[in-house]
Amino acid sequence: MTPKLFLQNTWKHRAHVVMALPAFLVLFFIMYVPMTGLILAFKTYKANMGIYASPWNGINNFKFLITSKDIFFRMTGNTLLYYAVFTILGTLLNVVLAIAIDQFVFKQAAKVMQTIMIIPVFISFAAVQFIVFAFLDRDTGLLNRLFNADSPIPFYAAQAKQYWPVILTIVKIWNSVGYGSVLYMSVLAGIDTEQYEAADIDGANKWQQIIHVTVPALYPMITVMLLLSVGGIMKSDTGIFYQVTRNTTGLWDTTQVIDSYILHSILNNPNYGFTAAASLFQSVVGLLMMLLANGLVRKLEPDNALF
Amino acid sequence: MAKKDMDLAPSRREKKGFGQYVLGFFLLLYTLFCFLPFLLVVIAAFTDEQCLKDNGYSFFPKQLSFTGMGQVLKYGKQLGNSYAITILVTVVGTFLGLFIMSMFAFAISRKEFYLSKFLKVYLIIPMLFNGGTLAGYMIFTTVYNLKDNLILLILPLTVSTMNVIILRTYIANSIPEELMDAARIDGAGEYRTFFQIVLPLMKPSLAAVGFMMATAYWNDWQNAMLYIDTNSKKPLQLLLVNIQNNIQMLLNSHNIPSEVYAAMGNTLPERSATMATVLVVVGPIIIVYPFFQKYFVKGLTVGSVKG
Repeated sequence: MTPKLFLQNTWKHRAHVVMALPAFLVLFFIMYVPMTGLILAFKTYKANMGIYASPWNGINNFKFLITSKDIFFRMTGNTLLYYAVFTILGTLLNVVLAIAIDQFVFKQAAKVMQTIMIIPVFISFAAVQFIVFAFLDRDTGLLNRLFNADSPIPFYAAQAKQYWPVILTIVKIWNSVGYGSVLYMSVLAGIDTEQYEAADIDGANKWQQIIHVTVPALYPMITVMLLLSVGGIMKSDTGIFYQVTRNTTGLWDTTQVIDSYILHSILNNPNYGFTAAASLFQSVVGLLMMLLANGLVRKLEPDNALF
Repeated sequence: MAKKDMDLAPSRREKKGFGQYVLGFFLLLYTLFCFLPFLLVVIAAFTDEQCLKDNGYSFFPKQLSFTGMGQVLKYGKQLGNSYAITILVTVVGTFLGLFIMSMFAFAISRKEFYLSKFLKVYLIIPMLFNGGTLAGYMIFTTVYNLKDNLILLILPLTVSTMNVIILRTYIANSIPEELMDAARIDGAGEYRTFFQIVLPLMKPSLAAVGFMMATAYWNDWQNAMLYIDTNSKKPLQLLLVNIQNNIQMLLNSHNIPSEVYAAMGNTLPERSATMATVLVVVGPIIIVYPFFQKYFVKGLTVGSVKG
């Protein structure tokens, strides 16, 4: 294509250029320009000089990052572990719930129950943390009152940190499984009834039908959703880790992830160079995982690849 | 597939055997698991403060009281203010986002438009690589100098790659090319084709994306926490974040006559008022959501398949 042809085409489509412009500009100022802020990872930030004029310090920030074992390895480890648990358990429960609702013959009841199951996803974690508190508080918490009124567990203190992976997993399931199952249900709704009828004629019982007809029908969607989620492996839902734990220092060992660390640092710690190094690490690993994930989806389910 | 949305699977063998009741029992249990925490918020909001202090949170409080809710509604000038801010941000953000994203989606769906290939790549990149929270924070506050500006509650959530892809997919799959061609032959320009033919036909996808956006705006606490300082600009979620430490901020001592304060024994109904606030904040979304359920279920399905 010659430049002249290109210009002619662009002029012909000037209306489309105008229409694309507002979103183009928002993306530019909100997404693209901030990418340049990551150069702070190679700088010592001086507030009076600003981001771009602050002095370079090579890879010092990264050296600090790697040597600060307790922070870097802790938050990276937590991020990966929570990702694994949330993703595997979440997908499993999404599928189980979708099949359960799909098999339930009282459709009206199923609809009402599903509506209720989706509600938690609409409650922000800033609000959820008060609900969790009502269950866990040392003195007034429902669970402590019910089960160990004599020696209540101080959940929001360091000695209770081993409970939090379980607590956060339960909160996450409560929050997202009802919503997550919707996608799988739409796949189930698309299964041809004839397949069940054929299985029925072949003498398959309900369980056999689920295992041989229902579950295989879900495989493509499960594969796609799992692979796409790999792209977000370094990202966490900040709310669940920062809000629900009330960002309690004593719980960081088991609850702090990269995103909640970064948020905490912005609000409390002006060592932005160090935090930017963590941030850049997160973004680069995220990019690699995203490319990997999309490559795999492209191979297995080309229609579902993002690009 | 998307057509069936909530209608679950086509009715197969409608056998209402024993297994169905067992299944129903488990579904009901899970529904309760989703619903009870929310019910606790409602009950705690109307529980007597002293009762909460002595007996803890309970589904069966010994004494009910409207004091907490009364305080919040009566003296919560800040609450009214924050409601206005949240509604403003949600409405402006959602409509602005839908408007500019659907124009962008329309522009990149024109195959004969050369620049659309570049625009597609430009759209995808921020999903693969972005500056993250820290770089965004630094650029927005030190380069744009927008700290404490409501723009930072709106623009960061306005354009999202995933939402544009959903809208573009909808245009490609559900709006016949012939319809647009016919409009052009009849002499309609691109703007007219878009606003009078395409946009009205995009309604289902706009409702789906719009509802998801509105929820994201309503529940956004992180941007508010990072950028907003002035009381008069605080949205509801930031109020929740602040309440954790001082309910006074909500009840804003200036608004409470000293004799009322003294009559309450210089104590504010903290626990019940907090829950009352949570209820007032999450209530609207939960009431509105069932009406949008079918749209956003459709949106989820549309988004999972690339056109």
